[in-house]
Amino acid sequence: MTAQLPQNPAPGLPVQDVPAAAVSATLVAPAAPAIELINAARWYGNVVAVNDLSFSLGAGVTGLLGPNGAGKTTLLHMLAGFLAPSAGTVHVLGRSPNRDPGVYRQIGLVPEREAVYPFLTGFEYVRFNARLQGMPNSDQAAKDAIHRVGLEDAMDRPIGTYSKGMRQRAKVAGALVHDPQVLLLDEPFNGMDPRQRLAMMDLLGQMAAAGRTILFSSHILEEVERVGNDILVMVAGRLAASGDYRAIRALMTDRPHTITIRSSDNRRLGWALMADPTVFGVELGSDNLTVKTAHLSAFRVLIAGASRSAGVRLFEVISGDESLESVFDYLVRR
Amino acid sequence: MMFTRSVAAVPLMGRVTLRQLLGRRRTILLVLLAAIPVLLALVFRAANDADLTGFASGVLDAVAVTLLLPIVAVLFGTAAFGAEIEDGTILYLLAKPISRWAVVAAKFTGAVGVTAVLVLVSVLVSGAVVLSPLGEQGAEATRAFLAAMLVGSTCYVAVFLTLSLFTRRALLIGLVYVLVWEGALSALLPGIANLSIRQYALGVGNAFWQMQPDEARLSPSTALPLAIILVVASLALATWKLMRFELPGGTD
Repeated sequence: MTAQLPQNPAPGLPVQDVPAAAVSATLVAPAAPAIELINAARWYGNVVAVNDLSFSLGAGVTGLLGPNGAGKTTLLHMLAGFLAPSAGTVHVLGRSPNRDPGVYRQIGLVPEREAVYPFLTGFEYVRFNARLQGMPNSDQAAKDAIHRVGLEDAMDRPIGTYSKGMRQRAKVAGALVHDPQVLLLDEPFNGMDPRQRLAMMDLLGQMAAAGRTILFSSHILEEVERVGNDILVMVAGRLAASGDYRAIRALMTDRPHTITIRSSDNRRLGWALMADPTVFGVELGSDNLTVKTAHLSAFRVLIAGASRSAGVRLFEVISGDESLESVFDYLVRR
Repeated sequence: MMFTRSVAAVPLMGRVTLRQLLGRRRTILLVLLAAIPVLLALVFRAANDADLTGFASGVLDAVAVTLLLPIVAVLFGTAAFGAEIEDGTILYLLAKPISRWAVVAAKFTGAVGVTAVLVLVSVLVSGAVVLSPLGEQGAEATRAFLAAMLVGSTCYVAVFLTLSLFTRRALLIGLVYVLVWEGALSALLPGIANLSIRQYALGVGNAFWQMQPDEARLSPSTALPLAIILVVASLALATWKLMRFELPGGTD
């Protein structure tokens, strides 16, 4: 993975509240990426929904993050072929999805809207999707998809009687019944209980491991963190970051890493660490030591040497702000 | 492959459209509406009024063709796409490897099917009550109005279905067209007969039985081609529009 930190956002149409700088960690995609955007933009009159998006995705799961109004749904609709880009190109599996129904043989879409035909049973709905995909054994394909989302017990009930989480699972089953190469999901975990969420996350992980490209949007960072490491972060219609969130965190050198240490002698260790120029500050707590540093990888080497030379035993070293939440918070507030 | 898949998808989507359109509340309302000509026929029969022209003009034309048919057609025609666009379920059809014309064909056949069945049954039963005792003339009149209802259902649904792809106010515009254009203006301006679906329907009915000339102003040879052109053009426009169907970006 390569990483860079542009000084200014990409030039283009004016967008309000654009971050002063965008962090970019380029995803390593296979030779022919499943999803590729080049300078893609979409605007409605004077309103810019998304602007100058360039990225590519190969097999794996990628979480699409961003605050409300960031352009996540617009991006997913562009990828699903239901919004033509105003500028730039959008390719899914090497072709433009807009006005090309044939591409849906390889795309599965789970829209954000909840509505599913209430008069169909779960099985009828999933089989309907399989039949429209032209699958030869639609009954079996529907049963398999329903099994994958764990909806067997309710498959013969009308969807109108389903809970929100069950409807979501029915939608997912309908979207993956034809085993698509690319799966696009807009807030797929909405309404699911924790057990269903975990099962769905495992399912997405399995599909990614089988070589599928999965892009899902979510407001819940823990969900994204659990499903995979790769993220796309959108802020005010622009791509603020893409790639492994840990790599993105490493690029955020203007924000010190905070490390909490417990050792046999916190005071002595603090003195030893303060001598190093990469350490910004040291704070001695009642039973721990909090250190701020710009370079986490350099600090890992430093702490080992400093503790040894000071004759201090390390009990615990915790990097407290390495979470996706921390990265997301940084990118959105920047 | 795509063509075969699209052809096979039409009855599948058509069945779902039928189930969607036949929601309990809408169906009850429209069945009650369709019962009005039948009730009027029973009143006619009870009054021993064997006036063929009076019944044809006063009930079948003024009530069935002028009110029942367009109202049923506008409700089913605009709901075929409108309801799915409104709730977002249209995506389950459009995100499939099938041609857009197949989606239009399914919606069209589904909406024409329910509209035609409802209005044809209404005319058939009304005709049986009042016109069947009138012998061959009564049978001809019944056939004429059945043909008019069939042509009218097809034309109205094609137009209103297409309209619903262009505006969310298709139902309102459809009702304004029926009540203002066909109701009020056509009475004042006879020249607009060539732009009136009601006239196409009655014109085709003229092939089976001579209707009142001041009501049915077009000959069958004029009405039928105009009706066919209208349906084909509407469905082509609907397919064109559906190919360009876009979703809003959403709030996030």
